Amino acid sequence: MFKRLAFCALASALAGPVFAAPALADTMTMWVRASGANAAAHLVDLWNSTHPDKIELTTIPDNEMVTKLATGVQAGEVPDLVSFDLIYMPDFMKAGFLVDLTADLKANPNYASVAQAYKDIATYEGKLYGAGFTPDVSILVWNKDLFKKAGLDPEKPPRTISEIHEDAKKIRALGADTYGFYFSGACPGCNIFTTSPMMVAAGSKILPANGADDALTGDGVRQVLETFKEMWSEGLVPKSAQADNGANFTAMFKTGKIGIQGTGGFLLSELKHDVPDLNFGVTFLPGVQEGQVSSFVGGDVVAIPVGSKHVPLAKQFIAWELTDEAQLDGLAKNNILPSRPALADNKYFAADPRVVVTAKALGVGYVPWVYHFADMVNSDSSPWINMLQRAIFDGDVDGAIKEGREKMKAIAAE
Amino acid sequence: MPRARSLERWQGWLFVAPALVFVAVFVLAPLGQLVAMSLTDRSLLGGGKFVGFENYLRIWRDSGFWRALLFTGKYTLVLTPILMGLGFALALLTVDNTPLKRITRTIVFLPVVIGLSSSSLLWFWLLDEQVGLFNKLLVDLHLIREPIVWFVTADLAFWAVVISITWKVVGFGMVLFVSGIQSINPDILEAAVMDGAGYWSRVRLIILPLSRRVLLLTTLVSAIGSILAFDQFYIMTSGGPRGQTFTAVYWIYQNSFVSFRLGYGAALSIVLTLIILIFSTTQIAIAARTAET
Repeated sequence: MFKRLAFCALASALAGPVFAAPALADTMTMWVRASGANAAAHLVDLWNSTHPDKIELTTIPDNEMVTKLATGVQAGEVPDLVSFDLIYMPDFMKAGFLVDLTADLKANPNYASVAQAYKDIATYEGKLYGAGFTPDVSILVWNKDLFKKAGLDPEKPPRTISEIHEDAKKIRALGADTYGFYFSGACPGCNIFTTSPMMVAAGSKILPANGADDALTGDGVRQVLETFKEMWSEGLVPKSAQADNGANFTAMFKTGKIGIQGTGGFLLSELKHDVPDLNFGVTFLPGVQEGQVSSFVGGDVVAIPVGSKHVPLAKQFIAWELTDEAQLDGLAKNNILPSRPALADNKYFAADPRVVVTAKALGVGYVPWVYHFADMVNSDSSPWINMLQRAIFDGDVDGAIKEGREKMKAIAAE
Repeated sequence: MPRARSLERWQGWLFVAPALVFVAVFVLAPLGQLVAMSLTDRSLLGGGKFVGFENYLRIWRDSGFWRALLFTGKYTLVLTPILMGLGFALALLTVDNTPLKRITRTIVFLPVVIGLSSSSLLWFWLLDEQVGLFNKLLVDLHLIREPIVWFVTADLAFWAVVISITWKVVGFGMVLFVSGIQSINPDILEAAVMDGAGYWSRVRLIILPLSRRVLLLTTLVSAIGSILAFDQFYIMTSGGPRGQTFTAVYWIYQNSFVSFRLGYGAALSIVLTLIILIFSTTQIAIAARTAET
């Protein structure tokens, strides 16, 4: 009985591409990490309503994705598709967890226009293992009402970190509980997302790819840390920032008492929904000199884990999610950025130039291609967060950079 | 006769067999796997060469682990007496079965049945400096002038967790103590009253010594619970500021699942298990000795 079933399954799998019979509709499984679940659901719903083969989406808590996928691959219990934080791509590719998609993606005309950062992060030894799925990107937001009150031009956002500093001073002068600037001082992830691009824009490189590679290079790191330190010691940042492990990353700007903050594109729809009266603008994260900009490209990539039972179908889904239809009607229509920056100017975003700016930030953004990202950055004891805290709150900028550099290189050498 | 005895013995083994199988499958086998894993450099992402005792040597040099262990020790030493003292005091106050005291016991016990993660999250927001009601209470009572940012220094964060855990588990000790006190033969207490013993003398000379077994049990449960602390720190402090509030278990989690070093995490777990084993054996031995005298 079992043999016959297996034979039928094999036969239908082989026959599938030839006949593509709708009667043999399949159901694929897909895991998505919680932060990307909302965006992924829009795409999957669209796919399910337009295709005979369905996808069943399972949400996995962010912290458990790596463990679950790693143990799943080793036990042969994997979903057909998986959407996860792009930063784990190098670790997963190296471990051999993902199916090689090089031939398919290279042959796909839409893939050529995918944001470069997504191509970089999904490349390992010349091969491609995933595609951009539900992007997020960091930006700078400023409160136009506070700018006006402080006598600043509300349509002129800061173009350098020293301008952030100057503007923040004037906004802080407005009164007791109005602050010029905000950042989550105890949140490593928030700061690699919003603070590191300022350093990168100023020409620095943050993380080493291996033990021989340099970490925290250039003067950008020091200049950004110096500015943050000064803003902190001048009281331009609320005291609570020092202990904020990310819980208030989005909440503070919503209060309308913060002048300028680095944040993620996801905040836009949240702000429009929660505080529709808040008058804010969006611009690229600046560097030290005018014209220097960058951002951190985050969000999820989609890939096929080794052991997937529907590889051809899963590949079809990946090809489909890169089409104009999926990018625009699945993502843009729901206020989510497309992974092809060229689609930033679309009918859905036209009404709000702020979303267009955000979508374009994908094109200027970077993503570090490193192993051990969690150890170097995301962990609560990482050299990255230790450096920020020692430099900004203790005031020892040079010592902090030196220590951070040594510890990052030690981790990269593992 | 010998035949009957051997049959009896077989029967005995048969009766305990299910429990033995359970322990073998769910305790001994995983423990064996853990020991085996601790001798490899296995990563969450695969691999796993045999490296001998390399991981154990590495623990010796891992200042992060020793710091976490020291912190866990401090947490246990501070929290256990608070839970014991407060639990015993509450038990004394609510030991009689009057309706009011029963309701009081229920209220104090209520947090025990809440999940630890939920209660930690609850306290995390109660202690928030912007919207936290706990800060507001302290300000309204004029105990502090402006809201405290609790998680900004390791000491404050430590006390924040101690407060939340005291609220969460003090009811557990109280209930155990109440049952212990209630099981004391009332004749003894009555006799003491007749002999003219005051309330404090009865507590000190009769209730306390006769609750010693419960005291031992509660101390053990509460101390081991504190040594294994994880959720409360994971949720409330994330090990911060600057890694100063990592507990031993949190450090194991961090190494195994954040840094993917399963082999090293396994070695850390074995070391922690041994430490707890030594600790509880000593505690039981001391208690047994004092119980005899």
